[in-house]
Amino acid sequence: MTWADSLRTAWAGMWSSKLRALLTMLGVIIGVAAVITLVAIGNGASQAVASRIETLGTNVLFVTPGPGTPFTTRQVAYIRDNTPVARVVVPLLNSGGQLSVGTSTLPAPVVGTTPGYQALGAIHLAAGRFLAPADITFNRDAVVLGANVSQALFGAGNPVGAHVSLLGQRFTVVGVLQPVGQGPGVSQDNSVFIPLPVAQFLLSTQNLSAVLVGASSPTAASQAQDLLTNLYTNRFGSASSVTVASEDQVLATLSATRATFTNLLAGTALISLVVGGIGIMNIMLVSVTERTREIGVRRAVGAVPEDVVLQFLLEAMVMSLTGGALGVGVGLVLVHLAPLILKTPAVFTPSAVVLAFVFSTLVGLVFGMYPAVKASHLHPIDALRHSG
Amino acid sequence: MIRVEHLTKDYPMAGGTVRALHEVSFEIPTGSLAAIMGQSGSGKTTLLNLLGGLDGPTAGRYWLNGRDVSDFGVVEWSRERNRTIGFVFQAFNLLPSMSALGNVELPLVYRRVAPRQRRQRAQAVLETMGLANRSHHRPTELSGGQQQRVAIARALVGDPPLLLADEPTGNLDAETGQEILDLLAALHRQGRTIVIVTHSAEVAARCEVVLQMRDGRMLPATAGADGGVAHDLG
Repeated sequence: MTWADSLRTAWAGMWSSKLRALLTMLGVIIGVAAVITLVAIGNGASQAVASRIETLGTNVLFVTPGPGTPFTTRQVAYIRDNTPVARVVVPLLNSGGQLSVGTSTLPAPVVGTTPGYQALGAIHLAAGRFLAPADITFNRDAVVLGANVSQALFGAGNPVGAHVSLLGQRFTVVGVLQPVGQGPGVSQDNSVFIPLPVAQFLLSTQNLSAVLVGASSPTAASQAQDLLTNLYTNRFGSASSVTVASEDQVLATLSATRATFTNLLAGTALISLVVGGIGIMNIMLVSVTERTREIGVRRAVGAVPEDVVLQFLLEAMVMSLTGGALGVGVGLVLVHLAPLILKTPAVFTPSAVVLAFVFSTLVGLVFGMYPAVKASHLHPIDALRHSG
Repeated sequence: MIRVEHLTKDYPMAGGTVRALHEVSFEIPTGSLAAIMGQSGSGKTTLLNLLGGLDGPTAGRYWLNGRDVSDFGVVEWSRERNRTIGFVFQAFNLLPSMSALGNVELPLVYRRVAPRQRRQRAQAVLETMGLANRSHHRPTELSGGQQQRVAIARALVGDPPLLLADEPTGNLDAETGQEILDLLAALHRQGRTIVIVTHSAEVAARCEVVLQMRDGRMLPATAGADGGVAHDLG
């Protein structure tokens, strides 16, 4: 039997019981779609977290509260008072929001901060100004746009003075940042900056996401890190209540967490693919039993055992690969729907498609092999005598 | 066409082996219409399975079409069945998911004949069976006689010199059974060797060579309908 004929026979075998084939494939469809979607969500989540951290320079420390640790604006003064080596202390409140101008909208990370952020030395203005002390004092609805945000909403034009709607409030654009380029995550090019008190008011919180501490040298940064670590460990009684780390450390931890997170999600999804494979094996075993007589007839007219193996193995693989292809389609749809429904960013990775396809091929091969070999071992006489 | 010597077949059973065939020896000349007759349990089906290479003998020699096939393996037998033997079964054994045409094509699929050629060939054979306008019907849409004719077309499509028929009229009414026997007789007149396994004396009466089996042994030669004699070498 030629390969083309084997494939044709396999396809016909699957096509002859379409509903059953579809139900059998469902496991693989769900598995593949899950791999693609969960990997995308994993990537999206970790990139969102990493967004504000990079490009802030080497002498910057991140003081980040652990879950449940009260961490309000008062911490800024506390850190400033206790850390003489600190050159600048800046509070951060990270959030996300939908920007809109007229009919165009754009989701963007929103950073509530103070004018001191500029003193960290990581941002450069393309137009207008950064947040000013008066913006804080008078709770002005002023916003500074990252380069990409400005480009997306206003094109090449100068948006300073224009109005954007954000978090249900009308903001005036006071400045635009120069592009800093794309790092390992979403850069500040995609973010917008608003006065901290305004952000806290709109988000109904007194807490901060982090405090950035800028030192004038790596040595000073290292001193400040030790000092703050001791301070907060003594104050809260646990080293994990407040984390003090340099940008490099934060990034290293983050990328490790990101990898673990994504692998965990992908692993969960791969398990469901294996379950799908078991479903295929189950149905193929049923199919072999049902078609025992067919196997006998094929052997009688000249099929060698290898022909029988190939027929059933290809049928299993046609099923797992068709399921894989449908799963990729479903996955792509979900990746696009996830940000709308789950309000979580999802970043599509082509390698997830490759992974899903390779895995579904393997699933078909591995779980199809046993039923196929079993079919080929049937004795032609017993097969022909088989009733039903 | 067929020569067997001291062919023996044992089946392992719970509590010992059962000897289904006792050193059977006979010869069926090329071009014969032969019947292997016997009651159920006489070993005739076992013999047919051995002749068709669907099962291997415990002992004895077998020459098919001038070649010693006694030691053929699974793959060699598959090829031999594909080229030399056409099977006709009592239960027709058509694949229900395929059209008549698809069923008839099957032996050519395993001979790696290109789709277009095998379709033409299968259609031509179906036409000679009077089933030209039934080629796209499923087996369930055909009568018993039509199904058996499709099965005979499948046996003939590869143009094998030998046809092995196992109770070909067993599932048919008397009239249709006669039609099928007429068809087999006509194929015989065209020069094909045909071996029919049957328990029916009527069927055997139409054959020129009749081999009688009882309790796994071949009985001494009997004259068939037109006086032919089986050569009992035992």
